[in-house]
Amino acid sequence: MDRVADDVAFGLENRGWPLEAMREAVPAALADAGLPGFERRRGSRLSGGEQQRLALAGVLAARPSVLVADEPTANLDPSGAAAIFEVFARIKAAGEATLVLVEHHADVAWPLADLVLALDGNGTLIAVGPPAKVLARSRKRLVEAGIWLPGDAASMAKSGRGSGTGSAGDWAGRAPLVETRDLRYAYERGRPVVRDVHLRIGAGERVALVGPNGSGKSTLLRLLSGLLRPSGGIVRLNGRDPGRLSAGRLARLAGFVFQDPELGFIENTVADEAAVGLESRSIDELMLRLGLPLDSFGTRSPYRLSGGEQRRLSVATALARSPSLLLLDEPTFGQDRRGWEAIAQIIDELVETGTTVIAATHDLAFARRIATRHIEMGDGWIVADEQVGAEAPAGLSATDQAIADPVSQPHRKPRTRSPKRTSPPC
Amino acid sequence: MLRPIDLTVLQESSVLGRTNPLVKLGIALGWLIGLGLMHDPLRPLALALAAVVAGLTLGRIPSARLVQGLAPLVAAAGSIALANLVFAAANTDQAARELLRIGSLRLTAEAVMAASSIGARVVAIVATGVVFAQTTDPTRLVDALVQQARVPERFAYGALAAYQAVPRLGQDLGTLRQARRIRGVASGWHPKLLIGLLVRAIRHADQLALAMDARAFGTRPRTAFRPLRWRSIDLAVGVGGAAIIVLVLLA
Repeated sequence: MDRVADDVAFGLENRGWPLEAMREAVPAALADAGLPGFERRRGSRLSGGEQQRLALAGVLAARPSVLVADEPTANLDPSGAAAIFEVFARIKAAGEATLVLVEHHADVAWPLADLVLALDGNGTLIAVGPPAKVLARSRKRLVEAGIWLPGDAASMAKSGRGSGTGSAGDWAGRAPLVETRDLRYAYERGRPVVRDVHLRIGAGERVALVGPNGSGKSTLLRLLSGLLRPSGGIVRLNGRDPGRLSAGRLARLAGFVFQDPELGFIENTVADEAAVGLESRSIDELMLRLGLPLDSFGTRSPYRLSGGEQRRLSVATALARSPSLLLLDEPTFGQDRRGWEAIAQIIDELVETGTTVIAATHDLAFARRIATRHIEMGDGWIVADEQVGAEAPAGLSATDQAIADPVSQPHRKPRTRSPKRTSPPC
Repeated sequence: MLRPIDLTVLQESSVLGRTNPLVKLGIALGWLIGLGLMHDPLRPLALALAAVVAGLTLGRIPSARLVQGLAPLVAAAGSIALANLVFAAANTDQAARELLRIGSLRLTAEAVMAASSIGARVVAIVATGVVFAQTTDPTRLVDALVQQARVPERFAYGALAAYQAVPRLGQDLGTLRQARRIRGVASGWHPKLLIGLLVRAIRHADQLALAMDARAFGTRPRTAFRPLRWRSIDLAVGVGGAAIIVLVLLA
């Protein structure tokens, strides 16, 4: 069902709609989902954000009275996520359907909600009611359960940043840890996803790689770690071509947290997984801090963990050999507040010991929190590369603006950037 | 910038692309049966040539794409022919005419005939199959199977979903291997890769089943968003395909 119109029509065909009704409903649903005129496009060629809106169109076409969305902005860039929430806001305004939203993003979800249900880690109900009342009555218990609250993302972005390491002056003159020249990569001939990338990243730098879905962030991370061989140009990791290093040497140099953590697992239990290649670090303490104590999680299968647990486990495994370079692909997706904070703190400590961190992320709060250098990608190019030291003013600096409004996504609405709207003074 | 050729455009505009997939499937089946009746290398090769010419002209497949699709399979056909040549029973038959002797290896004219015939038939099957695949949109094939051949929709759409999941599993395998390398274990093949791949396959299947259920698949009789009808082009291509196999068989 690669054709967009066929995909939207699938649910209508299954319900036995007559042809004429489908011919009207399909374009209407696409327009409702923010994809007007997309009927003849191929679904597999759409961006991540567009594909998610396509899925939404397929559901909206049948005019459902209840719409259930389970973390619908999973791994979408900020503009893609904003577009989805715009559709939800429209559905709500039209009063067409009851919307049940499972979501960590409090800043966007809470303002939309008439009713908030908060569950703790065991699935027990903590609070239920209108958002303002739930906040006023149960804030303490919500925080204890590690639940994101409106305004949290903005305040946590500021906390802890700027310990001062990794500013440009520290490593100028020294050989960079990561260096690329004219780096290019194409999965298919004639469709480059990384184009002419020149980069120098010094030891101990903390870099956030930002940019819309499909801009080449994940591919660049894999090129830097030698997991993909460049189509052109060179990569040097500590002066060597990482693609030619033995697996053992590469693992000591670089750790990698994959976007889909499940693809990074190689053992059958959490304990075995954590112990692969373990050298110096005390894994028990690390696992405890990541909320995966080995005495209760050790014998479980890594494949049976929740998404957030899997991601934290993959952070632990990437640190096992104390690599000089840690690469993370969307490390905070699906994390509650506690998991997010644990990952951010561990990165802070790593940088203190001289580890270089490069994180590809759509989570702008996380980018601000952990990084002193923001590299923005767009359509395979590096479109911005800026130092954002502790001296950057709080709030929205010019860099923040540049990240929040990528040039290639000019239609982004500022709505998601006003998180304080529903948060009471505290 | 040179863009890779998108076959989906040709699948909508070319003569073979617009032909009902069931007609093409029928022709391929007819040719397959015909190939079973041939015992010489020349007639299967003529059929293969017919398929390739039809693909290039009526299907407008770019020659580079066709070669790309054919090359590995024709190479496989060659190795099948070679194996049949070396291990043919005729080689030990003293009555057979000897062509060549290298040490203990004796090649006979009968073995050459049998092996080249087998190789040529595989080439013909491969050529027909590649032209069919490159001129057919899988979704149209399934539409036709369900609407016109009355294949049960659960089976047909399940097969389509499985077919479309193959590239995704290929990507997953690549990432699984990369993960082993960056964690310092050998990057070659390992049985544990299969566990990871199996988990992924189950996850994909699970999500797909959920997505199809959520859209009411299989709850009541379906209607069709793109109803298919038999057209004159189907008749013309069908007659042409039948004529070719009859002519080749009579030659």
